[in-house]
Amino acid sequence: MGYELRGGEYVLLQKDEIGAAAGDRSHTIGLEQFVEAEQVDPVFYNRTYYLGAGEGGEDAYRLLLDALRRARRTGLGRWVFHNREYLAAVRAGDDVLVLHTMRFAGELVGVEKLDIRAPSRKPTGRELEMAEQLVDSLHKKFRPGAFKDTYRDRVADLIKRKANGEEIELPEYDEPEAPDDLMSALEASLAKSGKRRS
Amino acid sequence: MPRSLWSGSLSFGLVNVPVVMVTAVRDIDLHFRQLHEKDGAPIEVQRFCSEEDVEVPWDEITRAYELQDGGQVIVTDAELEAIEPRRTRTIEIESFVSLDEVDPIYYDHPYYLLPAGSDDGSARAYRLLVEVMARTNRAALGRFVMRAKEYLAIVRAHDRALMLSTMLFADEIRPSNDIDAATQKSHKPSAQQLKAAVAVIEELSGDWEPNEWKDRYRRRLQDVVSRKRKGKTIKAPEPRDTTPEESPDLMAALERTLAELRN
Repeated sequence: MGYELRGGEYVLLQKDEIGAAAGDRSHTIGLEQFVEAEQVDPVFYNRTYYLGAGEGGEDAYRLLLDALRRARRTGLGRWVFHNREYLAAVRAGDDVLVLHTMRFAGELVGVEKLDIRAPSRKPTGRELEMAEQLVDSLHKKFRPGAFKDTYRDRVADLIKRKANGEEIELPEYDEPEAPDDLMSALEASLAKSGKRRS
Repeated sequence: MPRSLWSGSLSFGLVNVPVVMVTAVRDIDLHFRQLHEKDGAPIEVQRFCSEEDVEVPWDEITRAYELQDGGQVIVTDAELEAIEPRRTRTIEIESFVSLDEVDPIYYDHPYYLLPAGSDDGSARAYRLLVEVMARTNRAALGRFVMRAKEYLAIVRAHDRALMLSTMLFADEIRPSNDIDAATQKSHKPSAQQLKAAVAVIEELSGDWEPNEWKDRYRRRLQDVVSRKRKGKTIKAPEPRDTTPEESPDLMAALERTLAELRN
């Protein structure tokens, strides 16, 4: 493998030399700190794994699971996996310990790097109030099972139609535009949702 | 500013907010190149036509789905778009949920949505959505299509911006009921053990300060590269055997830990 320096020059490295950076390979996740579970913004969570109890460690596993749940805390520590050290969060899921590899703060793009155009004037109190009513009228309990990936089936259907020699019609689609009058768009939306409080 | 990966509009009742999507994470990993060991030349990947034996430029590449009988069906981008023309351009908010109800296991890749276009209307509608979600601690759920795949998305306020995360569908999450989570009654901790374990957790508790956690692996890898560049040999450290002994006496281990922490 080569690491490119400026101008096409490379530092040559063997796989085990790269492996030398892995870190402590003692097969231990040392939890160094505990934080309130809801303090951690989900943007930091990367991949998710389940942890099962090791042989002979069932009592300790169960104790950690129950204690994390009771204390409403998430444990943080370093974990070496496939020759790479990760920051890992360990938390109590539904009856199982869940491990997330974490993103480091430096991997996130800060909002200050973004070009967010400011409107000429802020939304009015009335607009906010209407928008809040609209959010309320569309409020639902989170039921992940209610969402199915139906697109995959439709791609399969498209392929079948094409295989049978059918022409696929390409429909026109006009992109919706931002409303000129935010207030009347909010009012119309609320009227449509039929739950407007009078 | 990161480049736009998708553009379209976020629709919320009859309010449309034209947006572009950019990534919210940067890849700061050290990347290595594969080299030919003999002469150190970089390995290149080329796309060849198996018929003509010439390299094929990207704009001449299309895709096909292979059928079981060996035949193939060519599928174009426009045809894929025809499946879901609306969702290819619009993230339609289907519902709002309380943020704390959403298990973090569902979050996949994070992006920012930014107001598109130059009119004041979209900037105001964008700002309104940010403010109302921040104020109510709610997030919006909707679906959209990007690169020939449909995604479930959650949109929430994040620092005056709208952050969108693609989500896993429920059937993409592996059930955990075949994992041994020591759920049998015999493994249930005693009240005394639980109290001591919670005390240890509280002793070690602090605020979540993301900036305090540094990527030590990246730093060590940079160090390996710079040492190697200076001609030093890199030796992998001997693995230390620090596998902790099983603690047959959990209570004693907890008490010892607490005593150490409180000292």
